Amino acid sequence: MIADVREALETVLGPISEPVLLPGGASKEAWAVDAGGERLLVRRAGGGVIHRHTLSLRDEFEVLRAAHEAGVRAPRPVAYIDDLDGREAFVMERLEGETIGRRIVRHAVPEQLPLQMAEELAKIHGLPPQRLPFLEEASVDRLVEELDEVGEPRPAIELGLWWLRENRPPPREPVVVHGDFRIGNLVVGESGLVGVLDWEFAHLDDPARDLAFSLVRAWRFGVPEKRLGGIAAVEPYLEHYNELTGFAVRPEELDYWELAGNVAWAVGCLTQAQRHLSGRDRSVELAILGRLGAEVEYEICHLLERQGVT
Amino acid sequence: MSERPTAEELAEAIEEFLSGEILPTLADHRLRFRLLVALNALGIVRRELTQLPARDDAEQRGLAGRIRAGDVPEGTLGRVRADVERRLRIASPDYLDGYAGE
Repeated sequence: MIADVREALETVLGPISEPVLLPGGASKEAWAVDAGGERLLVRRAGGGVIHRHTLSLRDEFEVLRAAHEAGVRAPRPVAYIDDLDGREAFVMERLEGETIGRRIVRHAVPEQLPLQMAEELAKIHGLPPQRLPFLEEASVDRLVEELDEVGEPRPAIELGLWWLRENRPPPREPVVVHGDFRIGNLVVGESGLVGVLDWEFAHLDDPARDLAFSLVRAWRFGVPEKRLGGIAAVEPYLEHYNELTGFAVRPEELDYWELAGNVAWAVGCLTQAQRHLSGRDRSVELAILGRLGAEVEYEICHLLERQGVT
Repeated sequence: MSERPTAEELAEAIEEFLSGEILPTLADHRLRFRLLVALNALGIVRRELTQLPARDDAEQRGLAGRIRAGDVPEGTLGRVRADVERRLRIASPDYLDGYAGE
């Protein structure tokens, strides 16, 4: 199969080094290749679809292109390939740096990283939506649908959804959001943020949703006392984002969307386990998420208690 | 219905991983033999699990349904949290330590 992938890639890129399949990537394959002295990464569709609402690779490539053109720190998009040995794929620059969340939070975190995260979000939220007409608006109803499709009773998730319905802040004009902006999807080097990866969850939404996603406890990678992704306090990040955008996002809005992020990830754990249980993608890593979702549900209870729910 | 993946389904996933992904990589005959024995033992565990009665989740289902309908009286969070803690004691017993002092 490597020979077929290589041959198909060479028709687009010219002579390349032997493609190396990188570990991880449950729903998509990632191949490292070098061509013309450049480090490249090939993102290719895998067996199953991770999530009903993820973008196709064609659309994800368009989002990456728009972001890169707007000066967002992101891999340079190189080419979209609609048939790479039977599946769609795209080629982009392969950035150098760390992406593993646990390693980032445990080693010396570059001092400027939190403010750089705010800067990139400000740029992403300024992307013109008409440039990306395929992006859809998200809603809490979507989570309810997904939960119902799994069909397991989850009182903690229900209580989270109930609170989100009852306490929705005044809606902001939807902007282009990344949808999965957090440590783990950022390439981090010694000088800080090198690039933003994984644009497949991009959609139109309240900007505070994106701003709060890094606060979700699961994405603090075992350093819960640092509320911003296990790396820092949240206040300077929020302040910098507000300076850059003029959006004046309030701390209470972050609280709301942090809870929403936890509810989304609790539902995500169930849908990921479903990929294994349905036979689409058999994997112990996916299966165990069905049980580890209880951790996220506990965090939902913890946050609800802080909101005064009894 | 018990929580999914059920213990039986988890055992099955581990069997598939060990026999599908680990066994083919083992060149050492002693390790191959011991892995096959371990897979046999895991098969016994899985089959024994099939004989356990499924946990009745009617109470959870009722609670989830009432919350969905907006029926959230005082004390609901306490009941919900007790359900989550019970499941965490099985799925991730050390997780709660992270909340000490919060």
